[in-house]
Order: sequence, then structure tokens, then C-alpha cells
Amino acid sequence: MSSTSQKHKDFVAEPMGEKPVGALAGIGDALGGRLEEKGFDKAYVVLGQFLVLKKDEELFRDWLKDTCRANVKQQGDCYGCLKEWCDAFL
Amino acid sequence: MSSLRSKSAQDISDLLDEYRIKHGPVVDSTRSLYEKKLKEAMAKGKPKESCDKTYYREEEEVTYEYSTPVRSEGAVNSGSYMRSRPEWREREFEHEQSYSSYSRPTPEYRGRDFVDEPSMYDKPSTYSNAYMTPTPMKSPEAPKAANSSRLIPLWVQFVFFLAVAAFLYLVFSSMESNDSFKAIE
Repeated sequence: MSSTSQKHKDFVAEPMGEKPVGALAGIGDALGGRLEEKGFDKAYVVLGQFLVLKKDEELFRDWLKDTCRANVKQQGDCYGCLKEWCDAFL
Repeated sequence: MSSLRSKSAQDISDLLDEYRIKHGPVVDSTRSLYEKKLKEAMAKGKPKESCDKTYYREEEEVTYEYSTPVRSEGAVNSGSYMRSRPEWREREFEHEQSYSSYSRPTPEYRGRDFVDEPSMYDKPSTYSNAYMTPTPMKSPEAPKAANSSRLIPLWVQFVFFLAVAAFLYLVFSSMESNDSFKAIE
């Protein structure tokens, strides 16, 4: 995708390590806070959820919507970011 | 369906498969998502699997009907074809009245066949027409049951075999008449 944000590019450029959940593309302060409340305080925890949902786009989008009320664009950005990261590092 | 909460993870997984919902393992973090998806699917009422079962049962019934004697086979065939292949309906039945008689349940079929034939088919040509039409589909002795498990329908194999046999016979008979060629040599 040519229209990926800088955040996306930064995230997929290297292993995520201990990066906070706010480092994910599409996840800003508000969504990040909601995710942290639910226990998803690190990017790798969201990665874990992504993998448990078998990297399926629809399931992951639904889960994001339910968990932190992400809108369609935010869902897409986060999914794309994690997918690309997995393609590169997993 | 609030009983979803009390179901085990395996039950949830089985239900998801039933509704053909793509899913991963049912763990703590995914459970509520899958329960929600199941509720939506149940509300829509997608009994896909039961529909499939019905279809297979019909095929089983069709298989069973073919054990009846050849005489009624033509009539029975037409009816069962109608049930399992709706598109044949219009082609096989010129008279709508004969169509309606075959929409009756299976057990009554065989009893009614012999009774209704004279009345349903006004002209013998209609009956033979209905009988001939299924013939391209299969030859009289070949059961349709095998059709569902074969890549190439059985009737095709028979027709092909007959064609090859006819061709070989033609070649053989033309060879026999080649005495005239020998005379020329």
C-alpha cells in the first residue's frame, strides 16, 4: 500500500519488542487507553490476539471494534500494520 | 440463547463450524467475540447444515426408487428427476397434470404408477417421450446412485463403450469387405 502512514512504516521496520500499544498504526491515545484498560498494554499482546484470530482480517476487525470501538479506518490501519509486521518477522 | 455462556469452548467451536464461521481457538480473549458472532448467526437463522442433510436424504431416496422393475422405471425416473433436478421438469413433462401427480410423497409413487399411467398419459408417444428423455441420462440397468460418487457419469461410460464397440465393428466389417482390394492387387 502506497498510502501507509509514517507510524506504519516505523512499526514494520523492526521487531516490536516492548513497544506500547499506541505504537500500532491506527491506535491513537483514545483507542490505546481503551485497549490498556482491557489488559492489552503492549503491542505484542495485541499481536498475540491477532495470531489467535488466525490473522483473519474480518475477525480481527470485529474484535478491535468490540474491544476499543475502533472505526473502519483505524481497524484497517491496525490490521495492515500487524499483517505486514508478521510477513516480515514472524 | 444466553446459554452460550455456559457452553464449553469445544461446544462453541462446534457451533461456529456449524454456522460456517471462520474462527481460531476459543480462548478467554476470543470467547466473547465468538459468542457475539454466534448470536448474530442464530438471529439470522442460517440452518445451512440441515439444508445439506435434506439434499443428501433426497438423493438417498432417489437411489432407492431405482430398484423398482424396468417397466415403471421410466415413469419413476421422470418423477425422481423432477425432484432432484428441477430444471428437467419443463423438458420431461408436457402435461402439467402428470407433474402434479409426481409431486406426491415417495411411498405412494409405486402404487400410483400403474394406476395413473393410462390416465395420465393420453398418448403412448407421451410416455415413450418421457421414457426416452431420461435415456440419454442413463441406460436402463445403470443405477443413478453411482452418479454421485463418479467423476464421469455411468451413462457416459456406457455410451462411450457402445460407441467404441460400434466403431470397432465398422472397422472390422469394412476389413471383411476388403477382399475387393486384394483382387485389385
